[in-house]
Amino acid sequence: MAGAAKPNADTEAERLFLRARMTALSGDSDVAVNLLEEATTLAPQFDAAVEAQAELLDMTGHSDEAQKKYAQARRIRAATRPGAPDRPFAVRQRGNFRSEIVAYDTVLRSLKKNALPYIARGNAYLATGKPAQALADYDRALKLKPGLLDVQAIKAEALSAMGKYEEALTTIDAVLTARPSDAEALSTRSVILMGLGRPDDANADLNRQLALLPTSQAAARACIALRLAAYELAFAELDSVIARQPHDPYWRLYQATARLRLGQPPTTVQVAEQGTWPAVLLALHAGHATEQEVMAQADTDCRRAEAWFQLGAVAVARDPEGAKRHWRQVVDHASPSLIEHAAARNELKRSGA
Amino acid sequence: MFSVILYGRNDSHGYNLHKRAAISFNALAEVMSDPDDEILFVDYNTPEDHPTFPEAIHDTLTEKAKKVMRILRVRPEQHAHLKSKTHLVALECQSRNVALRRSNPNNRWILYTNTDMLLVPRTEGESLSDILGAVPDGFYQIPRFELPEMLWEAAFDRRDPAENLRKLRDWSVRFHLNQVVHNFMPMKYDALGDFQAALREDMFAIHGFDEEMILGWHCDSNLAARLALYRGRVDTLIDKLFGYHCDHTRVAAANNKGRQTKMNDQDRYIWDISTPYLPAQAETWGWPDVTIEEVRLDRDTSYQRFTAGLDAAMEPATVPYTTTSLEWQLYDDLSYDLTHTLPFVCDQVVTFPRSTSVMIVATRAEFVTRFAKAWQGMGFVGTLLVPNECEGLPTDLPGVKRGPFKELINQAHMFIFEFGLATQSPDEPVRRGRLASTIDEKRLKAVAKLFRQAASTEHETRPTGRRLPRRFIGVNVIYNKYWPLFTDHIGANINPFCSQVLAGVPREDPSLRGKVLRFRGRHAV
Repeated sequence: MAGAAKPNADTEAERLFLRARMTALSGDSDVAVNLLEEATTLAPQFDAAVEAQAELLDMTGHSDEAQKKYAQARRIRAATRPGAPDRPFAVRQRGNFRSEIVAYDTVLRSLKKNALPYIARGNAYLATGKPAQALADYDRALKLKPGLLDVQAIKAEALSAMGKYEEALTTIDAVLTARPSDAEALSTRSVILMGLGRPDDANADLNRQLALLPTSQAAARACIALRLAAYELAFAELDSVIARQPHDPYWRLYQATARLRLGQPPTTVQVAEQGTWPAVLLALHAGHATEQEVMAQADTDCRRAEAWFQLGAVAVARDPEGAKRHWRQVVDHASPSLIEHAAARNELKRSGA
Repeated sequence: MFSVILYGRNDSHGYNLHKRAAISFNALAEVMSDPDDEILFVDYNTPEDHPTFPEAIHDTLTEKAKKVMRILRVRPEQHAHLKSKTHLVALECQSRNVALRRSNPNNRWILYTNTDMLLVPRTEGESLSDILGAVPDGFYQIPRFELPEMLWEAAFDRRDPAENLRKLRDWSVRFHLNQVVHNFMPMKYDALGDFQAALREDMFAIHGFDEEMILGWHCDSNLAARLALYRGRVDTLIDKLFGYHCDHTRVAAANNKGRQTKMNDQDRYIWDISTPYLPAQAETWGWPDVTIEEVRLDRDTSYQRFTAGLDAAMEPATVPYTTTSLEWQLYDDLSYDLTHTLPFVCDQVVTFPRSTSVMIVATRAEFVTRFAKAWQGMGFVGTLLVPNECEGLPTDLPGVKRGPFKELINQAHMFIFEFGLATQSPDEPVRRGRLASTIDEKRLKAVAKLFRQAASTEHETRPTGRRLPRRFIGVNVIYNKYWPLFTDHIGANINPFCSQVLAGVPREDPSLRGKVLRFRGRHAV
């Protein structure tokens, strides 16, 4: 509930961040800066804490130091890859949104009867991986403004993220009944249907979404094609995506995947910074990394899913059963929202598994 | 790297607009360093016979500002469909979207600001192009710092932006100008509309500004709310640059009536929005199918076109001056100096679209010949329509179309009625008491009859789709017997006799006299 309760901080770093904000408001900037320093030591990727530190330093005349902190916060953000471009805007956001949650808490102390602050805070929760809190905010927004289809659509995403696929499907069906050509809602439903183990229905929605997207949205189209394991189409779209975003290693990885699955010879891929994810996956394609090396770097659920999928793609020509095992791992363990999940399902379906 | 989008019109929006805007245009150009950078100024609904706002103040702009500025002129006719829905004469959302649609696709960023802002990079020598080139994708705002009117009005030299920015660095410290005013999210700062930098592709993805917002105010907050939803956060560039606003509240602007100010609904457009997208305008925002004229200040200027037209139409004078007279006994003498008058006629038309078609109803062949040359010399491509009812006029001039008056009238975007003496020779002295010959009388009668008809039926004879009344230009209609005729029908200003020219749109006189005049004109009585 907004306003009434103090915002919850889930980590020590977040607690320090919130304490620092209160301390700064009371006028003790030095203590606040130190608290923020502690927070960023505990959580080096906590960009909002770094930026808050920068602001305090700037206000107190330490502008040179502040500029370094601002630059650091931007580096953290720049290194955070947004979600797949074929997904709805609210689930493309990545990073730490603690600062936004606090900001909308403040708004909600004054504006209790408007939808936007609940929606924005809900989105911040969703992006931070807290779908239950997000759902509470979306429900509050819907109570204030019943029937808001946009909110129902992201509510379905929150339900899906919580694994409540049946409820999510009912919710998104209502949106798509009213707006059958809503490309983002089709994406949401395809994920839910994948989660429900209905890949044919999910693919039908993906194909509808693909048909709605103009060719100018090549990145989104490429992602849909990858989900469908439609590598010829993906390959064609990825050329223009790479031309626009030449430094994003994922597009090169996906292109290498498409090339491999189309039986084309690999090209020499400039592997970005050695050792960084997903460079090791490109190295795997080039035969310069082993399964063990790949899995050693796969330190999150998402990376493990990417690793299994690529291991399957690399293995399929010489060891089809081994490839299926890798793809089965993706389907069993990875979120249906991932490109790799849908692609693995379609690979398995195609191979008759 | 970035396109700055500004809008306005050639009027007096607030106190000392010309100085504020010149300071701002020049300062914005000063912080550009990428060859793709541009200032897009949408000149919205400036009257047809006025130049655009930047043209009106071009002499106060730096060469760099002129070079980077593209003026997109939205004509009154293009605004006409919205006129009845708003009290405003310039619409922010429509303007900004027209510019966004036509912005340089090479640019990564769109910067929304206003014509009274100066942006000062905190690191001297760094440009805004450098700054925006180095920051990650996002949606950025900066706080606005207020600049007392005395400072910008008294101390700034419009054409010296570097020195103005240096002064700001100094004043900000000496006079404690830098106060950050925080605001509710998603409006990170107060007056956020003076600096919002968004990715061009994000702006296209969310379908631009909301064109339903036509009552003024909160367009910037609506954008902030939608971009904050789209991106999830609002970022700051406060470490990179400061923004200063030339305060102009001594005199309230047209959209500021204190507590009586009409505004867009805050709840609807800010606090209850639920999506960044505007699907209802997804295909139409920024008027993609409408031809918007582009005007440049660094080439093919109105002045260059005007002089090119006149140079093509006449030779320089061979005497120090010529004479005429407005004494009353000369009231019936319709002789006039054509070469002296032509510049004033061209002055009436040069700001109109180049595709304009003009009906010329005239007595003197020389007038039509010279005007046709000037017309082409000024770069117009529209047709000159000359009714068959006008006898004795040339028939084979390039760009001239002859035909029956009734067939031509609904092709005309503008009218020129010339009341001269068909028999006047080029070197004849003027206003010496010359009487009209029989031929003169006959031709003048035809012109007067067509004038009455055109003015009385203007509303129903407009080209298909046209909403606004067409302009009538009267040549040789001051202090002679056609003066009352012209001004009975046309709402023209009082002009000096020396110009010989009056212009305006048909009067809407609801009196009995007005009705009788229109009835007589319509039926050529």
